[in-house]
Amino acid sequence: MKMLLKIFEKVSPAFGEGGKFNTFKPLYEAMENFFFAPSSRALLAPYARDPLDVKRFMSMVIVCLMPLLLASIYFFGLRIIAMLIVSYAVGGIVEVIFAVVRKEDINEGFLVTGMVFPLVLPPTTPLWMVGIGVAFGVFVGKEVFGGTGRNIFNPAIVGRCFLALAYPANMAGGYISPGSGHLGSILKYIAPSSVDAVSQATPLSLAKQGNLTDISDMFLGSIGGSIGETSAIAIVLGGVLLLLTRVSNWRTVFGVLASSALTAALLHRIDPDKFAPALWHLCAGGLLFGAFFMATDPVSSPVTNAGKWIYGVLIGVMTMLIRNFTGYVEGVTFAILLGNITAPILDEIVFKIRIRRLAGEE
Amino acid sequence: MLGGRPAKVVKRQGEPDELYLPLSSERFLFSDICVADGQIVNDGDVLAKDPDNYAVPLLAPRGGKVNLNKAEGYIVLTDIKPPAGKVYVPEKHFPHVVQEMGSAGMKRYKLLSLGAWQFFYDAYSGQLPDPLGTPQAVIVSTLSLEPFMARGDVQLQDRLLQFTRGLEHLQSLLEYQPIYLVMPDVKSPFASQVREHIRGYAWAKIIQVPAKYPYDNFEILARGLGLKKSAGPVWSIRVEGILAIDRALTVSKPCLVRIVSIGGPAVRTPLHLKVMAGYPLQSIIDKYVTEPDARILTGGLLRGKVISPKQQLGLDTECRGLTIIPEHKEREFLGFVRPGWGRESYSGCFLSSLRKEFSERLTTAMRGEGRPCISCNFCEEVCPANIMPHLLHKYLYKDLIEEVEEARVDLCIECGLCSFVCPSKIELRGDFINAKELIEKEKEEIRQEEAKRQLQENNA
Repeated sequence: MKMLLKIFEKVSPAFGEGGKFNTFKPLYEAMENFFFAPSSRALLAPYARDPLDVKRFMSMVIVCLMPLLLASIYFFGLRIIAMLIVSYAVGGIVEVIFAVVRKEDINEGFLVTGMVFPLVLPPTTPLWMVGIGVAFGVFVGKEVFGGTGRNIFNPAIVGRCFLALAYPANMAGGYISPGSGHLGSILKYIAPSSVDAVSQATPLSLAKQGNLTDISDMFLGSIGGSIGETSAIAIVLGGVLLLLTRVSNWRTVFGVLASSALTAALLHRIDPDKFAPALWHLCAGGLLFGAFFMATDPVSSPVTNAGKWIYGVLIGVMTMLIRNFTGYVEGVTFAILLGNITAPILDEIVFKIRIRRLAGEE
Repeated sequence: MLGGRPAKVVKRQGEPDELYLPLSSERFLFSDICVADGQIVNDGDVLAKDPDNYAVPLLAPRGGKVNLNKAEGYIVLTDIKPPAGKVYVPEKHFPHVVQEMGSAGMKRYKLLSLGAWQFFYDAYSGQLPDPLGTPQAVIVSTLSLEPFMARGDVQLQDRLLQFTRGLEHLQSLLEYQPIYLVMPDVKSPFASQVREHIRGYAWAKIIQVPAKYPYDNFEILARGLGLKKSAGPVWSIRVEGILAIDRALTVSKPCLVRIVSIGGPAVRTPLHLKVMAGYPLQSIIDKYVTEPDARILTGGLLRGKVISPKQQLGLDTECRGLTIIPEHKEREFLGFVRPGWGRESYSGCFLSSLRKEFSERLTTAMRGEGRPCISCNFCEEVCPANIMPHLLHKYLYKDLIEEVEEARVDLCIECGLCSFVCPSKIELRGDFINAKELIEKEKEEIRQEEAKRQLQENNA
């Protein structure tokens, strides 16, 4: 490893002030600091710092998505990996271009976006579409606002929304039946046109026709749906782990799940034939994935705890209303987008109240 | 628990050959020098005074020959004599002081001249309170929660009698104002011992606070007790101060030696030292610090400042502890993907959160790159003052100084926890201190202009 560090130290001047490759300094620094922890020292008190940095913070999301990724490869085959690579490559390029142009550091936020984005897509989405979607998401959802930390929307959601509006046919019809048996589809590469790509409707669209999918299937994930949303157990496993790391906040997750469950239960009570029960709704579609991994994005959700509660409840209720009362089959995407819009307002209100309360302090 | 925390051992540091007494310390500037070059002084003699702080004296910890020119900013004592141990009587003003101020006033005067008064702090401003003022309450803290600092329980070892006697003396300075005795655990054997001693003292109230940094902060304690800033000063004092009061008022001896902790990851055997002000810093460092490349802090890891034995020759009169922390050198390969079994973090992002309490060897490493705020809210969660560091940061970033003031940056107690936990490595504490200074300066300017205008109006 010392050799690698020496190489880095040797080429470092070329990227420095006045160096040949000064333009690509952000890229160089990202590489160097990826391999070796930064050499900076705390010059102001406190003189020691918490070991957590943004890299680790974002990496934890990836670690917690692992159960889900493995489950999705089992159900939908190796093509998932190809989609992941495309997503990372294109998203990374957009991020690097912006960092170079802006002369700022490359932010680790795209590590999460690149991973989450393919997971919210149907398994047979064409690779070029994955590329366009992630580029749009990162560009419009994040870079336009000034990069990670300043974005209003969750970039992955923006990308997905864009694809859903631009290519509705592909997005709605891209769902295939999941693999089964010991190996599932692990060894298969299921291209959109291949024989293995037996299309299957998602539980939510089946429900619109009056067929309720079995909860146990939805729990394990042997249903049609977006890559990462099918296996409830894998989502909960990773999601709870993410809560324990404190990267995601339990208030948001609990707010979304409790309010959607309550709304669903209420509707089910009113008309059991028309509306599915609460547990079914929890396991169906992208609700769990959205609650644990999308709504909890710290940047696009409110900062304040009170704000998080309201934000979570808003997303949960909106999801259920869209699912049950509109022409759309799934409502999580739009609900989270709506939540993202309201987040700054919610924060502002909480700030105002808290500042007023602080004014009384001496 | 952090590694390098000073053990319960108190060691007496040997007699020095020379003493370098700094003329400035955290709160004081001893600009009024009372001795001449070459003069022979005895221990307990006044070397200098701080005219801006009620003439707090700088006492000679040992007898010796004064040298004013050896080092700038220091009074150097050479030819150190062993302590004579004579009982000190404030020679001048004796009768009329009693007449003017009564016996309580006399006691206060004695505390001031015997060096015990400098252990008092005003809870809100952190400054030295007026020795003749009337406080609304007194807070006595037995806690010292900043890691590596001198611990209250250590100082109280075998000195419980002196402690309670000191409390009684303290009470005799007051009329009816309550004394709050702050303890980490009111059920501990130590606390029940104290309670046994002060049984029947209606003026002393024992308060329990969590033994978690920074709940020993006087401002936080005062606010927690509901003591309003406008209702007058809140005197606050630590264990060493109570012992100093006892020494000054029971045996009329000056406080020349103090207990200073020497701790931190780069110290061979962290412990407490019984040492006098002016003790050459270099000789302490040589004896206890193992790392050649270490940073020396006074005032603690989280809110202290860096000193170097080249610039600071001797311990100042207010030093409570030296913290020695190794400089960061090794760059870890793929550090951020390691399991982190040995890393102590506020978050749960490392495997170490599955472990029981343990200690990590800290260094000065920043442990990450500066990034824009990601709104994780950790800073607000740890803030003991209940302000919103992330919001203040946002306002400061946009230069909205009025909003910063409105969001009450003045309530910040500079504990440093927000900077510590921030994953984006934003220098929140430093920024807030700057903002506070800026606001203070602006206010001062407005005040001066106001005064000027008033003067003009009066003239006209």
